[in-house]
Amino acid sequence: MKYILLFMGTMLLSSCWKFNSGYLPPQPQQKVWGSKPVYAAKSAAEKISYTDQKHPNIQPGNIYAFGKFIFQVDVGRGIHVIDNAVPSQADRIGFITVNGCEQISIKGNYLYTNSFADLITLDISNPARVNEVSRVRNAFPELMYNYPLVQPQESGYYNCPQQLDSVVIGWVKDSIFTSCYKN
Amino acid sequence: MSIKLSAFGAILFIISFTFFYSCTKEGVSANNNAGTGKGGSLTRFTIAGDYLYAVDNHYLYAYSLTNPMKPAKVYTSPLNFDIETIYPFDKYLFLGTRTGLLIYSIDTASAPRLIGQASHARSCDPVVANDSVAFVTLKGNGNCGPAVSGLYVYDIKTIGTPMLQETVELHEPVGLGLQDSVLYVCCGDAGLKVFNVKSPYSPKLITTKKDALYVDVIPYNGILICFARAGILLYDIANPAIPILVKEIAN
Repeated sequence: MKYILLFMGTMLLSSCWKFNSGYLPPQPQQKVWGSKPVYAAKSAAEKISYTDQKHPNIQPGNIYAFGKFIFQVDVGRGIHVIDNAVPSQADRIGFITVNGCEQISIKGNYLYTNSFADLITLDISNPARVNEVSRVRNAFPELMYNYPLVQPQESGYYNCPQQLDSVVIGWVKDSIFTSCYKN
Repeated sequence: MSIKLSAFGAILFIISFTFFYSCTKEGVSANNNAGTGKGGSLTRFTIAGDYLYAVDNHYLYAYSLTNPMKPAKVYTSPLNFDIETIYPFDKYLFLGTRTGLLIYSIDTASAPRLIGQASHARSCDPVVANDSVAFVTLKGNGNCGPAVSGLYVYDIKTIGTPMLQETVELHEPVGLGLQDSVLYVCCGDAGLKVFNVKSPYSPKLITTKKDALYVDVIPYNGILICFARAGILLYDIANPAIPILVKEIAN
């Protein structure tokens, strides 16, 4: 009798195994070395500002020549201003912070760029006081996908950005629980 | 190019742009665009007249700048193409897409109208043109089909039906720019190729600058502004065929 029960029990278990074949239980999360997003509140990330300090160009993007100046996008971060009055002495002289920035065009005193999906108009008539004069929200919805900071630059594990009221403005290395992976 | 990482990852590899070569005029004057500057060849924004034209991946937009402080959308057109770049020339817009070149008339500036296209049998392409010739760089790769990477030269005298006249095989060509009869083609780590295109259908390589990883260029007021991976390089091109390095601005 014992043996019969044991046998039936084994059958039951094995049928369970069979039933569950192909199913992998969730693996316990592991801490690994990876990238973690740096968030800014949307309201803060939308703030346009100018500094006459040189910044290093982290992710060089589009260039644009305008009079004595060259502008170069730092993809996702903003726009470098380069004084090109004397080419042999040309150098970066300032930086316009425009989070989510990728494109640039200029006419007259106005510079047109994007901040994520928004079209931004900046008054550059006084280079020392660049300011936002208008914003068309969601003008280019798909430019959002091109935002380079949706993923870290390097391949490897990273935390998927999940804070809906925030935008990612950078990535830092840290010990993280695995969530996403970039090849 | 390089500058996008995304859900549309494949777009990474596509670069398109247009560019103009003029036999009748000195150099390149894209438009009667008083007050505008000059962008590179890898851009999604361009201003022609009082309009800002922009492309995201699948749409062409026109914004009126009649009030320059307040751009107003006047036109949106969905396109079944992965658009990469936009380039204005005369009364036309050239859109570089994954599958070829689209040519729009902007005779009616607020309502661009498709008038022609050239497809490259699934390739990743950049485009170039003038009132008679278009220079296009195509960067073939696994994602975009079997096209040969290189410089493609089109006859666009009949603007609606571009005719391929010449192909110069190049390794991973990216941005390009034209000054007089000299064409500069950025080829990444293969350097900056300088071509004599006096006979546009038989470009002749003059020299290659191999000191940097070149992405895009703007010939502007006698200076060739180069966007390289490691920084900006400025060349004196008083003689366009002989660029002389005058400044390097590291990132």
